[in-house]
Formats: sequence, C-alpha cells, structure tokens
Amino acid sequence: MIEVSQLTKSFGPRQALAGVDLHIAPGECIVLCGPNGAGKTTLLRILATLARPTSGTVRIAGLDPAKAGADVRQHIGFLSHRTLLYDDLTAEQNLAFYARMYAIPDAQARIAGLLERVGLTARRHDLVRTYSRGMQQRLAVARAVLHRPSLILLDEPYTGLDPLAADALTALLTDLTGEGCTLLLTSHNLQTDVTLNRRVVVLNRGRIVYDAPHTDAATFPALYRELVQEARGKRQESVDEESANGRMREPADHASRITHHAPPLQNPKFLHQVWAIVAKDIAAELHTREIFSAMFVFAVLALLIFSFALDLRGSLAQAAAPGVLWATIAFAGTLGLSRSMAREQQTGGIEGLLLAPVDRAALFFGKALGNLMLMLAVEVVLIPLAMVMFNVGLLRGGVLLTALLGTVAYAAVGTLLAAIAVNTRAREVMLPILLLPLLTPLLIAAVKATGALLEGATWAEIGGWGQILVVYNLLIIAVALLTFGFVIEE
Amino acid sequence: MRQKNLVNSVLTGLSVVVFLVALGMVFFYAPREATMGEVQRIFYFHVAAAWVGFFGFFVTFVGGVGYLATNDRRWDILAFSSAEVGLVYISMTLVTGMLWAKPAWGTYWTWEPRLTISAVQWLLYVAYVMLRGSVLSPEREARFAAVYGIAAFVTVPLSWFAIRWWRTIHPVIVSGAGMALTSKMIHTLLVSIAAFTLVYVTLLRQRITLEQNRDRLAALRLHDEATAA
Repeated sequence: MIEVSQLTKSFGPRQALAGVDLHIAPGECIVLCGPNGAGKTTLLRILATLARPTSGTVRIAGLDPAKAGADVRQHIGFLSHRTLLYDDLTAEQNLAFYARMYAIPDAQARIAGLLERVGLTARRHDLVRTYSRGMQQRLAVARAVLHRPSLILLDEPYTGLDPLAADALTALLTDLTGEGCTLLLTSHNLQTDVTLNRRVVVLNRGRIVYDAPHTDAATFPALYRELVQEARGKRQESVDEESANGRMREPADHASRITHHAPPLQNPKFLHQVWAIVAKDIAAELHTREIFSAMFVFAVLALLIFSFALDLRGSLAQAAAPGVLWATIAFAGTLGLSRSMAREQQTGGIEGLLLAPVDRAALFFGKALGNLMLMLAVEVVLIPLAMVMFNVGLLRGGVLLTALLGTVAYAAVGTLLAAIAVNTRAREVMLPILLLPLLTPLLIAAVKATGALLEGATWAEIGGWGQILVVYNLLIIAVALLTFGFVIEE
Repeated sequence: MRQKNLVNSVLTGLSVVVFLVALGMVFFYAPREATMGEVQRIFYFHVAAAWVGFFGFFVTFVGGVGYLATNDRRWDILAFSSAEVGLVYISMTLVTGMLWAKPAWGTYWTWEPRLTISAVQWLLYVAYVMLRGSVLSPEREARFAAVYGIAAFVTVPLSWFAIRWWRTIHPVIVSGAGMALTSKMIHTLLVSIAAFTLVYVTLLRQRITLEQNRDRLAALRLHDEATAA
C-alpha cells in the first residue's frame, strides 16, 4: 500500500526526515512512535500529499503522488492535529461539502451512517463551533473516512479524547482494519495504542530506529525510552546510519486483504468542485453574516469619512464620486478578503481542500468566486447609497460593467494575496500592504472609466481604460492560476 | 570560497574605479545645462538609479520564476538579494527625483508619471521585503515571495500605461520634457548607468554571499544543537 524509499525532507537547514524506508502492506495497522520533532507528522503529511519530499520516492497504492496527486488522494483519509472542519457549518454541511469534493455517489446515506457511527446524529444540524473537543474529533474521524479511503493516516488521533471517546475510537479503528483499510497512526500514548497489537515503527531524528510487531504493551514504554536514548547516544558517538538502525527488523507478515467495500468514486467534476466551494462559503456566511456586515458597515463609514474629509458638496461631490466609490470598494474589499481566507485557515479547512482530489485551479476559482459574490453583494447596497449621497446616476450599463470588471480583478488578485497574507505573522495588516500597490493600474482605470462614463461617454469611448481593466483581469487571473497552488501547499 | 571572495574583491575595486570615473565625468566632463544649470547634473544619478532599480525588479521576477520551477534555494537568494538592492536604488531614484524637481518644477513632489511609477515601484519593493520578514517557514517565505515578485512585476507595465494616461489625458502643469542631450551628456549618462549597474552587481553578489553564509551558519547551529542534545 505504501512504499517509501530514502525519503528526506528539509525545512531550510533543518532536516526533518533523513532517509526513511518504509513498506506497508494493504490491511496493516501500524503505530508510528517517536519523541517530539522526530518527523512523524512530516512523514504523515508527505504520505497525505500535503507536503513534498526533498528527495526520495513515495508510492501509494502503486501511484506516485507527485504525478498522480488527485488519484492518490482518492485513496487517502487523513486525520490531522486540526479537525479540518469548518466551524461555521453544521456537522452535516461539513460532511456534505467533503462528499461533493470527493464526488461520493451515495453521499446522503453515507453521511447519515457515519454520523450514527460516531454518535453525532442528534447534533448533526448544530454548528461545529458549538461542539466539545471530543465531538469535533469524532466528526473529524467521520470526515477522514467519508470517502471510504483504503489508507487512513491518523496523527495523534487520541489527543483530547476522554477515556470513553478513546475506547470508541479504538473500536472504530479496529472495525476499519477489519474492513481491510490500511492504518498508520502516530501516538505518544504508547500503552493504549500498542495494545492494538500492531506493528510498531519508532522514528527518531528523522530515521526509523525500530520496526517490528509488538505484543507486550507493559514493557514497550521502557523499550521505547531505551531506543530513543540509544539512538541519541549513537549519534553523539558519530556512529553511522547502519549501526544506528541495528535494531531494525524485517516488517511483520503482511496481511494482503483489502476489501472493496464501497461503490467506486466518480471523478469529481471541475465545475462541481468550484460550486461546492462557493456554496460552502455562502453557507458559512449565511450562518454568521460577519463578513458582509463588516464590509458593509466599513464601506458606509468610508463614504462618510471621505465626505467629511474632502468636504464633498454639489458638483465637487459628483466629480469625486468615482474616486470615493472605488477607494471605498478597495478598502472594504480588503477587509472582507482577509476575513474570508482567515476563516478557511481557522481549523485547517484549506488542508482539507488540499486532501481532496481537487484541481488547484478549482480551489482558486471557488475561493475567488465566493469572494466576488461577497464583494458584489456589498456593492449592490453600496452603489445605490453612493447615488443618494453624491447625487450621481451610477446605475448605467457602462458603469455597472466597469464595476463588474474591476471587482472581478480585485477578487482574483485579492484571493491570491489573501492566501499569502493569512500565513504571515502580521496577517491583520499584511493584505493591504501587499494588495494596494498592485491595484494601482486597476484603481486608476476603474476611477477614470467610471468618471468618463458619468460624464456621458460610452464604453467604446473610454478606450484605453477599458482595455487596461480587461488586460489586468486576464494577466492577474493567469498569474493566480499558475501560482495559487504554490501559495496554498505546504 | 576563496575564489568567490576574490571575484567579490575584484568587482568591488572595479566598481569604485568606474564610479569615480562616472563622478568625474558628471562634474568635469558633462557640460552645464543651459536652463537648469548645475542642478541638472543630478539627472545622471537619477536616471542610472532608476534603470538599475527596474532591472533589479526584473531579476527578482526571474529569480521567483526560477525558484517556483526548480525549488532551488539559489534562485530565491537571487530574487531576495536583488529586491533588497533594488529597493535601495529605487529609494535613491525617488530622493534624487525630488531634489531635482524642487528647483526645476518648483515643488518636491508632483504626480508626474515617472515619479509616480517610481513611488509605486518603491511600495512594491517594500511590500516584498516586509512579506519576507513576516513568514515563519523559510520554504513558504521563498514561495510566497516568488509569487508576489511575479504578480508585482507583471502589473508594472500596466501601472506605467495607467499612470501615463492618467497624467496626459488631463492637463499636465509641469513637464520634464524638452531636455535635449548633447553627445557629452549622453556619454556621461552611459558611463553613470554602467557604474550604477556595476555597483548593483557587486552589492548583489555580496548580498548573495551573506545569505549563503547565513544558511551555512544556521546549518552549523542545528548540527551543534543536535550533537549537544
């Protein structure tokens, strides 16, 4: 099921994995142990296709993740440190969203069955943010196995679970292995997990130092400490890798069973995935209304402040209206984009998307369309308000076309840069710093086109401004499509 | 390493010599401009700095594309180093432009297209450098910066058109047009551009060496920590 050979992963000068070889047969259940920083999570993230190795080869179900990422992802279920759930959606909406991303044919029945299995049927219509940690973890398990993966990767799945929930999870994992799933789970809780009577792999400083089946749960913790300290001691003495791996054993006998216990998944369609992302964003916004409200209130405040600051009255107000309107859209848009991407990152939602067999272009279009709809919703209220406040006739075909073109470009470049800004330390202020200098041609063209159209020019007569808007759209969408994958992947 | 230091030393020496020649030509070879007088001489620094500033951003763009295509840290170091050096040059362009504008146009700042595009360029460089300082993971930092460098570079030509049209469609109160250059002025300008470019290459190499040394130091520290643990 998994074949890993000479796998390395470096983060700058730090080497997280230093030549890992691991072979896991279908149907095996493996417990991956190791001290903090040993490389367990990194290994799991590479197997889950969330991170790329620095060198070495990985094969999952015979496929190379680098070449057949989408196909590999159909086989993988991943339970991360984070739940990868959307707090502002209900349990059912979360699972329905992922079902659409994986194109699960019997989604309704599968979701109902899983919610029953993890004991959340009664709470299926409640928002995830109202759940306890244990309930969220149970729902996260349901999400990870929703598409009936044949390989399930679990990163410390027992964290935060009370003893009863931990027992339930153990029962579920036992069922899954019984159904032929391959399981690889990391854990610090040696006694509980080792009692699963499985093959144990110990990772230390990016290398496998032990790989054998283990049945004696009582003595394993002592052996484990001995292994880790021994590996440290050997490193200090500069003993070479072969010697350090002296205790490595041949893998356990591999059960070759794997049952195809599910209807085959369909190939997810690009537009369906785009729409699923948009619908998910709209549903989350309908539950909270936080982004729309914030953008709208901010836009009204901006209109008022510009009016006070520039003392806009009479003909001056009409002359300044295009500039004030576009500056307001730009600032309100920045606020909304920032929050929209932060919501995606909050509980690792973007990783959930990356785990799905989804085209990176679909992710970009989905997020950008969601942001565009939010911005247009604000403009639907803002433009009539500006008409009243500045006494100008903004409801003209050309002006609305300019607004649409400007907003599309804004949503495209804003989505790309918001995905960057949300991963920075100064995320609250980084988006406008990155975005506004890039918007120079767009804002100038949009303001000048709007001004000319209000003075009675036709769309054909505004000439170069319209061309700049169109070319900006084409350029920035092309750049975003080519680079969005680099931004969102680890 | 020794060969690299030698090249850096030679480049530094050459930069000093060519820069001194350029200075000499600016003050003793180029003729005094009839309308603006001595203040016109700042033009040779201003244009040369602007050229190198824009070229630096192009190198950042190339480095970004190279990094995304190959995942090779050397491209990232090139992109980052060029952006930092380019920022210095664009800052110089802005300052010399304003110093020249005051006696020539009667104001330090006007929304003249070239000054405006330089200001936008400066903001893009600043945003690029700030972004690099704000990402925790070195790998992500490199990728984000590469994407931003590419997006920023492709919008620069559009900014140029937009700013020019913005200022030319409406009446332009002051204009820098009409400055005819004699052959001595052109020679001086070309030598100044060559000197500034050479200094850029020297600074770029030094900055790249500094970044490579930082990487080595970080690797050594990690090795030490691992041995001590």
